[in-house]
Amino acid sequence: MGESFKIAVIGSGPAGLSAAARAAELGLSHVLLEAEAHLSNTIYRYQKGKYVMAEPAILPLRSPVSFAAGKREQILETWNRESDGLKVNRRLRSEVTGVSGTRGAFCLKLADDSVIRAEHVVLAIGLQGNIRKLGCPGEDAAFVQYQLDDPDEYNDETIVVIGAGDAAIENAMALCERNKVIVVNRRDEFDRAKAANNAAILKAIADGRIQCFYNSGPRKAEDQPGRRPRGLIILNTASGEVHLPCDRVIARLGATPPRKFVEGCGVAFPTADVTSLPAVSATYESNVAGLYIIGALAGFPLIKQAMNQGYEVVEFIQGHNVEPADEPLLRGKFGAMPGFRTVDAALELVQRRVPVLAPLTRLQLREFLLDSELRLPQQGEVIFERNAYSDSFYSIVNGQVDIELVGGKATRTVTLGPGEFFGEMSLISGRRRSATVHAGPNCMLVETPRRSMNKLIYSIPAVKRVLDQSFLSRAIQAAIAPERPPVALQSLIATASVLAFKPGEHLFREGEPGDCLHLIRKGSVTISRHMDGRDVVLAYVPAGQYVGEMALVSNIPRSATVTAAVATETIRIDGEAFKAMLAQDPPVKARVEEIYKNRLARNVSALQQPERGGVIGFLMAQGVGEATDVLLIDESLCVRCDQCEKACTDTHGGLSRLNREAGPTFENLHVPTSCRHCEHPHCMKDCPPDAIKRAPNGEVFISDACIGCGNCQRNCPYGVIQMGVESKTRPSLWRWMLFGGREPGLQDHAHHDHGDVPKKAAKCDMCKSLPGGPACVRACPTGAARRVSPEQFLRVARKE
Amino acid sequence: MSTAAETRTVPTAAIHEGFLAHARFRYFKLASLLCVLAVAVYWWDDPADGPNGGTWLGYTLGTVGALLIVWLTLLGWRKRDYSSRLGTVRGWLSAHVYLGLSLITIATLHTGFHFGWNVHTLSYVLMLLVIASGVYGTIVYARYPTLITVNRDQSTREAWLAELDELNEQSLKLADALDTQVHQIIVQSIDRIRIGGGLRAQLFGPREPLRKAFAQVEKELGMTTRFMATKLRAQPSMRSLGPDESSTVSFMAGQLVGGSHDNESAQKLLDLVARRRDIAGRINRDIRLHAQMQVWLYIHVPLTFALLAALLAHILSVFIYW
Repeated sequence: MGESFKIAVIGSGPAGLSAAARAAELGLSHVLLEAEAHLSNTIYRYQKGKYVMAEPAILPLRSPVSFAAGKREQILETWNRESDGLKVNRRLRSEVTGVSGTRGAFCLKLADDSVIRAEHVVLAIGLQGNIRKLGCPGEDAAFVQYQLDDPDEYNDETIVVIGAGDAAIENAMALCERNKVIVVNRRDEFDRAKAANNAAILKAIADGRIQCFYNSGPRKAEDQPGRRPRGLIILNTASGEVHLPCDRVIARLGATPPRKFVEGCGVAFPTADVTSLPAVSATYESNVAGLYIIGALAGFPLIKQAMNQGYEVVEFIQGHNVEPADEPLLRGKFGAMPGFRTVDAALELVQRRVPVLAPLTRLQLREFLLDSELRLPQQGEVIFERNAYSDSFYSIVNGQVDIELVGGKATRTVTLGPGEFFGEMSLISGRRRSATVHAGPNCMLVETPRRSMNKLIYSIPAVKRVLDQSFLSRAIQAAIAPERPPVALQSLIATASVLAFKPGEHLFREGEPGDCLHLIRKGSVTISRHMDGRDVVLAYVPAGQYVGEMALVSNIPRSATVTAAVATETIRIDGEAFKAMLAQDPPVKARVEEIYKNRLARNVSALQQPERGGVIGFLMAQGVGEATDVLLIDESLCVRCDQCEKACTDTHGGLSRLNREAGPTFENLHVPTSCRHCEHPHCMKDCPPDAIKRAPNGEVFISDACIGCGNCQRNCPYGVIQMGVESKTRPSLWRWMLFGGREPGLQDHAHHDHGDVPKKAAKCDMCKSLPGGPACVRACPTGAARRVSPEQFLRVARKE
Repeated sequence: MSTAAETRTVPTAAIHEGFLAHARFRYFKLASLLCVLAVAVYWWDDPADGPNGGTWLGYTLGTVGALLIVWLTLLGWRKRDYSSRLGTVRGWLSAHVYLGLSLITIATLHTGFHFGWNVHTLSYVLMLLVIASGVYGTIVYARYPTLITVNRDQSTREAWLAELDELNEQSLKLADALDTQVHQIIVQSIDRIRIGGGLRAQLFGPREPLRKAFAQVEKELGMTTRFMATKLRAQPSMRSLGPDESSTVSFMAGQLVGGSHDNESAQKLLDLVARRRDIAGRINRDIRLHAQMQVWLYIHVPLTFALLAALLAHILSVFIYW
């Protein structure tokens, strides 16, 4: 029963296609199963003409199908042609609903209930998931579509849009200008969508531009050949069946995430976290013998990596040992290691020496070290300075480092040896380095960037546990008693736990009994008091400081409410243990009391100028609570000359990253649309080539590795990233002054009809390449524009 | 537009420092020192044929003044050289204002108070005009930004224009449901809204003042409703609703028909018209404030070039004919 193959590849994206092509090239019996009606659905769904990049440039391609950066259409055409040429046995519209069995005897169940048997299974389904279809008869009818490339293609049609999410609303809004649009919503509201989309669609419905069926769903779609309109969709509505003749049905119902399916195949995920991915061996094999996972699902989101893995996985199945494509790169990185012989030996040494890397599989280790750098600093060399803004993580392979802890006036040096790690404080808090680190003798370090480290933390619980533990004790020590060794704080550390708060959530409220201290490890909070029937914000407290000591020191109930300004994590320390520690340690007690007195005085002065609280509250609402540096314009000085924007344009390839006029204003304080350089930048969250970095001085910038995918633009809650093309030439001021022509500082519109040049993401980099600071501020003639950090802002404000 | 709002002072955030106070008034102090020094030397110096541009002091003051004028002109270059590390534009502007003002003293002393109908005095007068326009600029830079902020009231011009469109659409819809004549009036009134325009309109408001245009709309609306009411009164059943000749537009609208539904629509329509007037007024005020804040530069800069030309003629003629 059912056909039988040596290799069954599920998913025809770059990874799966490359695997099937390699199998075809070797003449192995194979089948490539694709749920959709075309190859490579994720790329197929890119917008028309989208330019696809081929990062990382240094990695060589190893696949029977070719791939080079180019337009979506070109790439898809090449893959179709070449896989035809290789006689890849592909089956489209063949959704696999379940995989059972193990090496040599897999059984794949398809959506049409047919069964395929295979000796090996290669899972290359990516992370996009399967598109949810109508789920009723006729869901694949010719007039039913699941995406919308270009709304301007359609005119004077009757179009039924099914769905109530952002995609459905955006499609409906774009189409309703020139077509009759009917929206079908399964529920009675659109509250799953973004606030702006929700408001827009409700208004369009109220204005009669869009018709909406609430509490309704599709029952059947029917082609009506030869009639106009060519389709008919039958809806189940609250008041019975409705027949809608239409030209087109566009269903935007989202996608099912692949995790459930993958787990159904027997594959284990290391954590419950949504970003967690299954672990695979050095040969891409999962915990199910004979089931291999490659591509984005295995944690490799870039096309070239995925294609290489497709090639390699077939070689591994054949029992061949191929040198991984990244071998030369790793050799280049670790060749400098004293006594280097082979890459494998070097990797093994690193893993043996650094316990936090012990739980990694060989493949995870390779990728981790590929992202990392080997550092061999001279004795005494500074690895990073206190207050620098770097956020990488260091593991000590050999030798030692000296960490200078500053507490009050005293400095204390801590020495760390092989196997230990440092740099996790900035990694977790997103803030500046809390100490200066010097290299000791024979120092050998592995420096790992933030993203790779976060990936590790999210996929390996053991790593997270070790880091959290160490963070806890080091943070408590640094914030409360830097001059004491961690052992002295053991009783305090034992009571500590990590708590997470959503923006707007209270850590505690005014009047409550004080039973604990919160050390803020991530995010920031506001302190407010209830006065005259409203909350008056008194102060802002960033990560690295603590709140709640006032009630403990004075033994009175909480004197103020503390609220998370952004997503915040705190270390909660038990109040009794804290008091006990203070009782035993008079110098620490004296300092805590000093901070308490300062805070008390500050709160009193803040209460005397409640309008300041209004400004703090406003700024917090603009996301300043997670900012490290924000552009603020004093509108009473701003003469609206747009010098700031022109300066930005001129110094950044004719593309301004700043919109002065946009953005909210409170009294005279205007927050223009400009990057805030967040502590935990939202834009970094999902950057496939890891092109967004933080410079040592805190600037968050986008490197040339950008592939123009637009993820950062979508992830930025402040709308400060735009996609565009930088001009290579810069207008000359002398030429303009003498002969006219292109004026410096004006957007180069001629250049913006760029045709084939790919758009890349552009954002503020605080002019880090220019000495003297941001051009926008330097160019402001009246002093209206200033870039400040929240602490600076509040300190300066307090002097008043 | 309430005048109370315009005069409201808005507390300034403490983190910003304006160009006048730049570096604790460094250039104010420098310029003052320069003036005091010049006056003192002028006082002390006693040339044989009285103070004039030809004495050693006259030449010195003239050279200092001419160099200052050339340097002051360079602000236009510095502010466009966006990647320049030569101080901040704010510092340059601060120095520009104070040293520019000091020119009054320096150049006046340079003349030795000799004036006549010649190219020399022309340069002097042009310089004073440039300075006067600059003083005006400094004043509007100090005053107008806050006026603009207050007028904006946290909105933006784009948002206003969108709302205006929206209000137009809504009022047309409402008017359409009421009566064709009302509809026509609204269409006309939409045509009559003037936003911005040429230089004159930008500086002093549109040629057809909005107030007048809207007064017209209200008058016509009133007449129509009155006309309608007369018609209605002709119907015996409506006779009891006798009109009041001196009534307001809203009263007339209320009289339009007996039915409360249309009554409500008419009221709403008038509210829309009023809101539209407010927004159109704000946009035009915004345009006007911007124009008035920036127009002086169109005098200041050409006058500067005229001054440079006259200065060149002055210097050349002095060297050739003296």
